[in-house]
Parts: sequence; structure tokens; C-alpha cells
Amino acid sequence: MKTRLPDHGPLETPQFWRTLDERLETPEAQQAAHDEFLPGAVPISYDDVHGLPVQAQSGFSRRDFLGLVTASAALAATVACDRKGQGTVVPYTKRPVEVVPGVANYYASAHQEGRRVYPVLVKTREGRPIHLTGNDEHPGVKGKTSPRTMADVLRLYDPDRLRSPKSEGRIVGWSEAESRLYAALKGTKTDGRPVLLISGAVVSPSRKALLADLKAALPTLDHLAYEPAAGDAAEEAAKASFGQAMDLQPRLAKAKVILSLGADFLNGDDPEAQAAWGAQRRLKSAHDPINRLWVLEGPLTLTGTNADQRVPVAPSRLGAVAFALAKELTAKGVALPAGSDLSGISAGAPAEIPSATWTSLVKDLKAAGRQAVVLCGAQMPAEAHQAAHLLNAMLNSEALVATPAEPLATVKDLDTAVQGMAAGRYAAAIFWDVNPAYTFPKAAAWKDAVAKVPVRVWIGQVEDETAAQCQVLLPENHWLESWGDFSTPSAAVLQQPTVGTLYDTRQGEDILLGSLKALGATVPDGYHAYLQARWKKELPPGTTFEQALHDGLVKVEAKAAVPPFKGASVAPAAKRAVESKTEGLELVLFPGFATHDGRHANNSWLQETPDPISKMTWDNPVAVSVQDAKALGIQEGDLVSLSLNGTTLKLPAVIQPGQARGVLALALGYGRTTGGVAKGVGIDAFPFLGLEPGSANVRQGVRLAKAGGRKELSRTQSHHRMEGRDIVRSLTMDEFEHHPQGHHHMPELVSLYEDQKFPDHKWGMVIDLAACTGCSACVVACQSENNVPVVGPEQVARGREMHWIRIDRYYEGELENPKVVHQPMLCQHCDNAPCENVCPVNATNHSPDGLNQMAYNRCVGTRYCANNCPYKVRRFNFLEYTAYKTEPETLVNNPEVTVRPRGVMEKCSFCVQRINDVKIRAKGDGRAILDGEVTTACMAGCPSDAIVFGDLKDPKSKVAQLVAASRAYRVLEEVGAKPAITYLADLKNPVIEGGHHAN
Amino acid sequence: MQTDAAVHTGDIPAGLAEPSLYVGKVTPGSLDDQVLAFPETKPPRQWYFALAITLTAALIGVGCIGYTFFIGIGAWGNSSPVFWAFDIINFVFWVGIGHAGTLISAILFLFRKRWRNAIARFAEAMTIFAVICAVIFPLIHVGRPWLAYWLFPYPNERALWTNFRSPLLWDVFAVNTYFSVSLMFWYLGLIPDIASMRDRTTSKLRKLIYTALALGWRGAATHWQHYEKAYLLLAGLATGLVLSVHSVVSFDFATSVVPGWHMTIFPPYFVAGAIFAGFAMVVMVLVVVRETMQLKNLITMRHLDVMNKVILAMSCIMGYSYMMEGFTAWYSMNEYLHHGFMNIITGTYGWAGWVTISCNIFIPQILWFKKARASYFWMILVAIGVTIGMWFERFVIIVISLHQDYLPSAWRIYKPTMIDFGILLGTFGIFFTLVLLFARVLPVIATTEVKAILPDAQPGAGAEGHFAAGETGTAQPTDGLRAPSHHGDDHHV
Repeated sequence: MKTRLPDHGPLETPQFWRTLDERLETPEAQQAAHDEFLPGAVPISYDDVHGLPVQAQSGFSRRDFLGLVTASAALAATVACDRKGQGTVVPYTKRPVEVVPGVANYYASAHQEGRRVYPVLVKTREGRPIHLTGNDEHPGVKGKTSPRTMADVLRLYDPDRLRSPKSEGRIVGWSEAESRLYAALKGTKTDGRPVLLISGAVVSPSRKALLADLKAALPTLDHLAYEPAAGDAAEEAAKASFGQAMDLQPRLAKAKVILSLGADFLNGDDPEAQAAWGAQRRLKSAHDPINRLWVLEGPLTLTGTNADQRVPVAPSRLGAVAFALAKELTAKGVALPAGSDLSGISAGAPAEIPSATWTSLVKDLKAAGRQAVVLCGAQMPAEAHQAAHLLNAMLNSEALVATPAEPLATVKDLDTAVQGMAAGRYAAAIFWDVNPAYTFPKAAAWKDAVAKVPVRVWIGQVEDETAAQCQVLLPENHWLESWGDFSTPSAAVLQQPTVGTLYDTRQGEDILLGSLKALGATVPDGYHAYLQARWKKELPPGTTFEQALHDGLVKVEAKAAVPPFKGASVAPAAKRAVESKTEGLELVLFPGFATHDGRHANNSWLQETPDPISKMTWDNPVAVSVQDAKALGIQEGDLVSLSLNGTTLKLPAVIQPGQARGVLALALGYGRTTGGVAKGVGIDAFPFLGLEPGSANVRQGVRLAKAGGRKELSRTQSHHRMEGRDIVRSLTMDEFEHHPQGHHHMPELVSLYEDQKFPDHKWGMVIDLAACTGCSACVVACQSENNVPVVGPEQVARGREMHWIRIDRYYEGELENPKVVHQPMLCQHCDNAPCENVCPVNATNHSPDGLNQMAYNRCVGTRYCANNCPYKVRRFNFLEYTAYKTEPETLVNNPEVTVRPRGVMEKCSFCVQRINDVKIRAKGDGRAILDGEVTTACMAGCPSDAIVFGDLKDPKSKVAQLVAASRAYRVLEEVGAKPAITYLADLKNPVIEGGHHAN
Repeated sequence: MQTDAAVHTGDIPAGLAEPSLYVGKVTPGSLDDQVLAFPETKPPRQWYFALAITLTAALIGVGCIGYTFFIGIGAWGNSSPVFWAFDIINFVFWVGIGHAGTLISAILFLFRKRWRNAIARFAEAMTIFAVICAVIFPLIHVGRPWLAYWLFPYPNERALWTNFRSPLLWDVFAVNTYFSVSLMFWYLGLIPDIASMRDRTTSKLRKLIYTALALGWRGAATHWQHYEKAYLLLAGLATGLVLSVHSVVSFDFATSVVPGWHMTIFPPYFVAGAIFAGFAMVVMVLVVVRETMQLKNLITMRHLDVMNKVILAMSCIMGYSYMMEGFTAWYSMNEYLHHGFMNIITGTYGWAGWVTISCNIFIPQILWFKKARASYFWMILVAIGVTIGMWFERFVIIVISLHQDYLPSAWRIYKPTMIDFGILLGTFGIFFTLVLLFARVLPVIATTEVKAILPDAQPGAGAEGHFAAGETGTAQPTDGLRAPSHHGDDHHV
């Protein structure tokens, strides 16, 4: 504060003085002015009311006195409270626009994984993203997304993220770090040595344009877009069949007969396919149309578990089988595409397939015609893909959308680049959001080669194996902090940041733009401007960029013409398929359900989400077929050694019913050596990946032997048979038509206690087991919504996982090719809940709207409720799983859901916070709650819409109508708990002996 | 078993005479000298040695409990679906052990079984100690032990109340009532003996303590009158509790929906099992006590013989109960119950089922032989067997039933941790530490009650060392001073 008066002259601006001393500028007054408040006297020495001077009664000023009183009171209050870890609570002084404390905001954005793009809706609270769902405006995904996408919000808050640039291991500023990159790039311009850039798949038009700009400014740039999990064979096959890279997406809504050659399109990765599947399976009557899924595959996939007809076939044989199928179809009068030659193929059922099944399959495909589609798993050999392309071309399938795609580099291209690096070809290498040091099969060769590149720059989020080999590390934004755009077949999708950068990070495109600028190009200021400028030109008339961002998408017309199928490619592929020989055991390497290619390995939510088939968490054991395990004397959990071409891995084995004989399956993406979560989880299977793109993921001649010793498997389900109990009902279409309830009769049960009364609402749920594929998206959605803690592999092995919803998976019938059923199991919110009357402190009780609720504060943890729960859906905090967490980990928590401490029981709440949110809003609007307005997280997350939630008291609600459906039943009804969840029996549509069921 | 009614006045044929309840010449004075002298003498080396062992075990247990408090119930093997394991097994086990004391002191008192007089004190003390071991578990097994007091229905400003439908709450009352009544009963019986010790001791400190504990007992006739009324009332109360407490404990299981728990046979089956286990423990301890404390003349082989007969009877009841469990599983046609029963005999934990059946049913059958009932080897073998068997019976009921209930997807094998074993060891340590301390500081035999069966207490009694035959049928005034027995003046047999 400026209080000094000028010595003389007229005052230019009014200057006020408080005391005469001040006016006269006595030293005391100057000191007082400097101190603002003199200790003890000045500021309060005047009576506030009358302005009269107040004589201090003691050495204490009133201010001091009040201060001490306040401090004492605060101290007393603090001591009296036993709340721990209270943070500072500071209200907004200037509230950011759009942010209302306690009210969630939603933003449209998008997540890319490989070639796949997931348009999402980001829920933010007080400016931080906390929950992801699909963008409901997108015509394809319709509000659905994949489990890994939902879990990726956790990666935003990963404490392992690199928070500022590093150079030679030192934390440096951006200018210093980038100057090294720029210097290297400028240097190459003069000496002409090439620069290597390895990135992930390019599905973004703006990123593509930017890379083109970079290539123009730096002609020596070698760009490889490498996706280790995309399946090199699919890429190779597409190039052979169509002459270019293709993105083949099924449109299952149009398919009556689906033949999968090891394609796992129901595993949660493709919400669009799953939605279409669910729509065709949620039958009201046996006369509704239903598709039929044929699956020929080696390992048991989720799609295989949902098959109506499944035959185990080794992946190496799929090509031959599929070409034989094509040959059979030609015999049935289906024309081959021009130039195709199948003369090398003999018709007739292959050895693996019973002839009756074969005949049915051929008949089914022929009858469905254009409504049949053949899908091939990305990891299957190239011949199988080419056979699938041929079959689809023959059938002229309308259930397939083929779009030309940006080509991906294969492992072979990468190998060429490695040889180039080893030869000293490159002046610099940039690794952008890729981890080739981990994913390249020959890690040692990679390491030697990369050391020969003078400047190595890494752009990424969490320091990984590649980062360890680079000198300059540039921390990248999470996609929730970034701008971007993607093209999908039905719309262009926009990505916008939903939170400011948490750390001193930039997005990769901005780094490239900076490089462009350094190279002398004229570029917009930042990628946001770049993107906007490009879109201003592209947007259809009448659409603003802001509107497009709001919607998260721009509807664009499908453009590029689909190249015709090349008939000439058939003969060589068929020849290869017939000649392909299996020797010893065959190993299939597939992307891990949780980890994908390893990029999600540091995500504990995903690591703890059980694999939908094996129910393994935190590990990638090798799956052995029942027959091979018996022959080799392998028990589950036995350590085995797996060797191929001099590489030997020691890892635990699981016995996988339904897996083809002679086939081993192993997930990629484990065994990382960096990352707080990822490090040391499972075994790195990339060394087994082949360098021949056509068969990179299917390796022959693998040797398997018992290595001695065992490992405790961190599995969430250890018993896999239903023991003949009426738990999951599964009907064939014939049974559905004639005996939908089978022979189950439930006598009237009586209770000593009075029935619960539900005056206004009674919340209930219906789960359609026919639509549920077991993909576990609900598990991840629930984990994110309800702050479900992660407990780690040791705790999972002891049965202490905390998931509020689990998917029970049962095998039935012969072990070699069992029938598999999935059943989401969560708190049944029983009207007559066995848990409620045994709780001595009333911590769990019934709400008037039908919820079985938990008062965490009241729970003392006797665990009696969990013992008495027939469904075993209650979860106990055996240890402290959450309190040790600090920012940034805690930022992902949903503020509407209590974080539970140790010693407390918890379980599914039917997302009571969402119910109350809707209730409050409806009350505010003075209206009744609409049917479908309340969605639980699992329901919103379910890609196949198997879960329906609503008010059972409203007879018009969807849930009330489904409860009355003919397939409806309740699990363990005989216990008399009166669950609020109704299941609809699973449906299978197998071929009926001696004829076909009408489609 | 012989009853008092079989004892006749006058001449008793030699073969029909009831065997003596003591050996040799015992007078009130010699009895006091023999029994009340222990607290006055320095314990032998072996006693210190034994105490060192039991204290170590107790400290291990306390350490394990402390560790559990520090990190949570996760320190134990409990998991889903076996949410209860060693914690509740040990609780039920120790509550069961506690049953013998009350049965001996209360029920046998009301039934006028005078062989109880010499062993009642020790058995009652064991009840108290066993219940102390038992109540540790409900307190430490809850997830948030610092809030365990919420199980009591106390008035509070939040108007929170307990759930009276919960069997766990019934447990709280049953065990608390049982403990307090047992404690009062035991202490009441101790008062005259403590007064005697007060009068005998020369140590000032002991005098002070015993004086305080004797509550001013002078042996006056009014004292005896009140004492006997109180004793009778408490015996009546405790009798009901013997049956109720373990019935209520069994409700924890019987009222649930868990297959293998939900059975109507549980209350009587639990009570019988508790008496069974309790008697086995009493036999084990008494054998050691009579040998090491030179009490063979007071705790005779006849006492042990009778105890062994009770054990045999209970074993037969247990055998019947086990068979009924199997019958129920078969007859109910309930697939869950059937699966549960088959698990006991053929499942992963089938060995535990067979340990239970062997120890509780097969081994005790040796007690049909009189020689076995008179042999230390056999009775100790049976007693140890029963203790192990009854612990495993609770393991069978709790762990086997829980590990595979309704949905096979949730089934899981349970494995205890070292902490679980540590706490189990610790309770044995606590129990035997208390037993050892008791044996040195308080009279291990109720002298006043034994005096009641001495000839001195029975004017006109028959031969010394035998049952006072003249007591029945003739009213005898209590002298109220030297041997004022509330048993001796038993007129209505």
C-alpha cells in the first residue's frame, strides 16, 4: 500500500491519511504504514461501532485475543474429531465457467486403440474426468465402448507418468529437450541421413496431414505405423486380396449366419458388433428372428463361448478348412470371383469337422447368401484371412463394411528398420507412443541396433522399455488432455481435452508441429489451431466446429471406393493353406484381454479384471488343451517351460477346456520390466512372435514340458461346473418354443417376517443371458463408477477381489468342447435378504424403494452377512485397500461414492447415487421419473444391452415387462430370498438334427 | 450310574456300598492343611517351567492379535466365501470347553451328585478361563474391533439401535450372561475358602488381599444361610444357561441359510458337544492336578471314572447327531445339503471330517471298558482326541459348509495363515496360564464342599472313608461353624 504523501505540490490523485501522525510522517506512522497493523493496537484501537478509541485492558489486543480464542476452539474441535487426512477445502473465488461444484459435466471425446476408435462421453466432476461411457450420439457405438477404454481414465492419473521432459536422465525444460530434437532434424536436412519415426496406427485425418507436412519438410523421414496387436497376417492378407490395407468391420445387424474363423468380435473390443449381436439375441418369443454363430477356432474365445455351433480347429488349419468350404460352396452353385482358382482344394469335410456339422455349415452359408458373413481373427494365419475374403466375396456379404485404411507396418518392416538402425542408416529416431524395445521379438537385436542411432527421442506417457534406451524423453498428454480427430466408417470423431494438462506435458502432434516450425515450415500455433483450420475447410455447411466438438462427431459420407477382390490371390493362398504343416505344438499369441499389447499393463483396474474365459487376473499363463495336459501330465498351476527356436520361457499353465488339441495359447502384453503396476506381472511372450507377417502370431514346433514347481493362480473362479444346479438356464430355440421354463417348479415359500413394503418405487433389474457375451465391460464400468478398490494378485488368489459385479462362467458337457455360459452376478437386492436380518448392528437394511443398502459407517465387520449371502456377492475390506492412496490416484474417485475403509463390508448398491441424482432432478422438475432414466453403470456399460434396470412398480416399464417374459427366472429362488434381479434364460440356436431351425 | 437314592441307611451289603469319594483318612483339619497350604508354599520348579511355556504361548497369541489389529482381518486366512474360519471355530470351541464347569457345579449340584464336590471348583475355574478365551474372538474377529461396542444396545444420540433379529446379538447376551453368572457362582463358592485362607495366612499382603476378597465372611449362621440361598439361586440360573448359551451359539448357524448350518438339530447337538469337550478338558487337567499337587486322596479314580462315563455318553449322542446330519441330508432331498454332507466325508476337507468322526465317536468307545476308564493312558488319549475332534468338528461345520455353498462359481479353498495358528496357540497359552496361576493362588478344591461329605459333617455317619450313610432320611441341623455343608443337610433326595 502506498501511503507516503508527496512533499509538496498539488495532489494529482486523491491521497488519504488515516491518522495525523501519518499525515505528518512521523517515524512511528511510517512504521505503522509499513506493517499495516501494529502489534496489539493500531487496527483495533477504535471502537468499531462508535469510532471511539478503546483503551487496551492488557497486553492482549482484541485481535490477539480473538485469534487465540479461535485457535483454541479450532484446536479443541480438531482434537475432538477423529477424521483423518482432511485436506484443505478452498472454495472457488472465481468459479470457472461451466463448473458447478457437485454437478457433473459431460464432454464428447474419443479414444484410439490400434485401428479402432472409441467415441466416448467423458464425465467430469469439478474439472476432472472420472468416468467414461460411449458417445450416444455416434451412430455406430450408440453410447457403448470397450472395457479398456473405460479403464483408460485411470491412466490419466497414473502416478508413474513422466511429468516433465528429460534429457540424458536429467529433468530439463521443454526448450532444452526439444532443441536436441530440432538440432538432429536440422542436421539431417543438411547431411541427408534419414530420420526414423515409429508411431501407432494413423486413423486421424489431421495427424495424417501433419505427418504428410512433416514428410514434405523432411523428405528423409521414414515413418512406420506399428501396432503389435493388430495382427500382421490380416494386414498381409488384405494387401494380397485387395491390393491395399483394409479395415474390415462386420455389420452384424445384417447377418443371419456368422462364421468366425478364430475371430473374437464379442470380446468387448467392438461395441458396435456386440450391440448388433445383443439386438438379435434378446428374443421375446421363439418366432423372433435370431442369427446363428458358427465358430471354428483353436483357443476358446469369448466369441466361441457364445457360439451356436463350435468346432475346435487348430489355427494353422483354418485356411485349409475355409478354402474347402469355398470349394463346397462352388459345388453348391455359388460362383467364384473372377480369376479365382480352387483346383488345388478337395471338397468334403476336413478331418476336424464331423461330416454332419460340415453339411449343415455349408447349407447354412448357402441359404443365408448375402446375409452370411465370414470373419477371421486378426491373429490367424494370412491364408485363413484370404479364405475369409474369398468366402465373403463369393457370398457377396452385405454384413461387412470394408474401408481402405492407412497401412500398418508389419513386424517384417520393423525388422528392416532394425537392420537399418544397426547399419547406422538413421541420424535420429523418434518413438511416438510405441514401445518397440518391448514388442519387437528380438529384444537384444533391437537394443544393439538402437544404440547405433545418434539421437533417440521418445514421446510417451509412462517411461517404458523404449524410453530406457532413449536420450530425450518428451512427456506426452493423455488423450483426455489432447486434441484430435479420427475417421470411423459412420462418422468422423473429434477428440477434445476434458482437463488441463496435469503435468508439464504436451501432445505428440504439438511436438511434431514444433519440429516443423524448427525446420522452417509455416505452421499454425499449436495442434488445436492446426486441427481447427483443417476442419473449418472440411466441415459440412451449417456445422460449426464448436457444435462438432460438442457432439464429438461430424457425420460424413463414406468416400473411398472399395477395391475389388483379386481373384488371382486365391490360388497361391490356397496352395499355402493346403501345404501348411503342423509340427509339434502350435502356439497362438493373442493380445491380452487386459493389457492389449502391453500398453495397458500399468492399469491396475484392467490387470484385476478377470480374463473372461480363464478368470485369471494379473498373469498370462499358457493355456493348454485338456488332451495335451493329460498327455503331458500337466495340472493347473504347474510351471511349464515353453521353448521355440532357442527361446525358453518358464510360466504357469492353465488347462483350457474347448481348446483344440495341439494348440497352446498365450497372451501378449505381460512381463513388462517398467511401470509400478506392470513390472513383473506375467511373462513377456513377444520373443515368440514370428518375423514372418503371415504367421507371426501362430507359431509351429513349440515344445512344452513340465518345469517343476507350481504357482498359485490369481483366479477369481476356481470351480467351473454347475454341479447340475439350476443356476444358469440355457435353452435351445426348440426348448424356448416348447418349454421355456423347463421342468422347474417353485412351491410357494413362506416367511416368518412381514413382507417389505414399497410405497413409491421398487428398483429391479433384468439380465438377459442370451445377450450377455461375458465381455466384462460391466465389471470395469462398475469399478470406475463405484470406486471399487484393486487388491493385487496375492489377495485375488485368496479370494479377496472387490468387484461388485462378477461374471460367472460355467462349463458344461464334454471338456474337449464344452458348452459355456456366462452369468453376471451382483447383489440381488433381495426383498427377503438373508444378509439383512443377521447383521447385529443394522448396517445393512432395506430401503423403501427396494434397495438392499449398506451403511458403511455403521458396519463393524462381523462378515455374517457375507456368509449368509447365497449369491456370495458381498465384498469385505480384509485389508486397507484405499487409504494409502494419494493424488493423483485419488483424483479418479467418483465423489458421489464413499471410499470404504478396512474392516467394512461392501457390495453393489444398484448405483444408488445415480438413482438419487435422477430422483432429485425429477423432483426439481416436478415430474415422475421416466422409465430408462435411471441407468446403473453396468447397464450403461453393457455393449449388448443385456442389462435393463428400472422400476418394477411401474407396470409399463421395460424391466417390469421383461420380468414377465417367458424366459424369466430367478437364481436360487428356492432359498426364498426373493431377489430383485431376474435373469432371462440363455439361448442357443444350434442346428437341429435332421434339418434346420428356421432363421 | 449310582445315585444317592441307592444308598441306604443301616447295613449296606458290601457289593452295593458306594465307593468312597476320598481315600484314606481325611478330616476337616487335614483337608485345610492339604488344600489351603498351596498358596502359602513356594511353587516347585516345574510350575515355573510350565508357566514359562504357557506365557510364551500367550504372548505369541497376543502378538498375533496385535498384528491383526494393525493390518486387518486380512492377516488371517479368511476370504470369500469362507468369511469365518479360525476366529469362530475357536470361539465355539472355547465356549464349549467352558460348559463342563457349569454343568458340574450347577446341574450336578441340583441333582445332588456329590462326586462333583471335589472337582467343581477346578471345573468352574476352567469355565471362567475358557469363556475368557472365547470372548476374545468376537471382539477381535470384527473388521473394526474399535467399534465392537456397537453390538451392545446402548442409548446414543444418533438413535442407532441393534438388530434383535440377528443371532450374533443373541450371542452377545448369551455369552455375557453366561460369563457373569459363572463368575459370580465361582466367586460365591470361593468366599468361605478365601476366609479360611485369610485366617491361616501369616503374610501381611496375602492377609490384606484375602480379607478384601472374603467380603467379611465370618462363618456366622446368617452368612451360611444367605450363602446357601444365593448358591442355590445361582445354580438354578446357571443350569438354564448351560443349555441356553450353546443353543444360542448354535443359532448363529442354525438360523442362517447356509447348507450345513441350517439344521434344527443344532441346539441339542451343540450343547452335547460342548459338555463332551468340556469334560475331556477337565479330565486332562485333573489328572495332572491330582498327580502334581498330591491330591490323589481327594480327586480319586472314582471321580475320573464317572467323568469318563459322561464322556462316553456324550460321544454316543454326538454319534447319533452325526448320523442324523447324514440322514437329514439324504431325507430332505436338498441337493445343497446333500453336497455339503458329502463334502464332509469325501470333499477336499474330507480328512477333517474323518478326524472329527474318529476322535469324537470311534476313539471314546474304548471307555466302555472299566480298565480304560481307570487307565491314565486311555483317558488322556481319549481326552486329547476329543479336544482335537471337537475343534475339528467346528472346522467341519464352519469351513466345509462355507467353502462350497450355493453358487459353484464362488467356491474356494480356505487356507489358514501362521497368524491364525498363532492366535489359536495363544488362547491355549492364556487358558493354561490362568489355570496355573489359579492353582497357586486359590484353593483348587472347595474345602467347604468336601467337608460336607466327610464323616464329621454327618453325625451318626457310617464307616469313615465311605459315604455317610446316615445322612439320608434324617434331618440334621447344620452346626454352622466347622463343617457347614449345604450338601450335608440334603433331606430330599
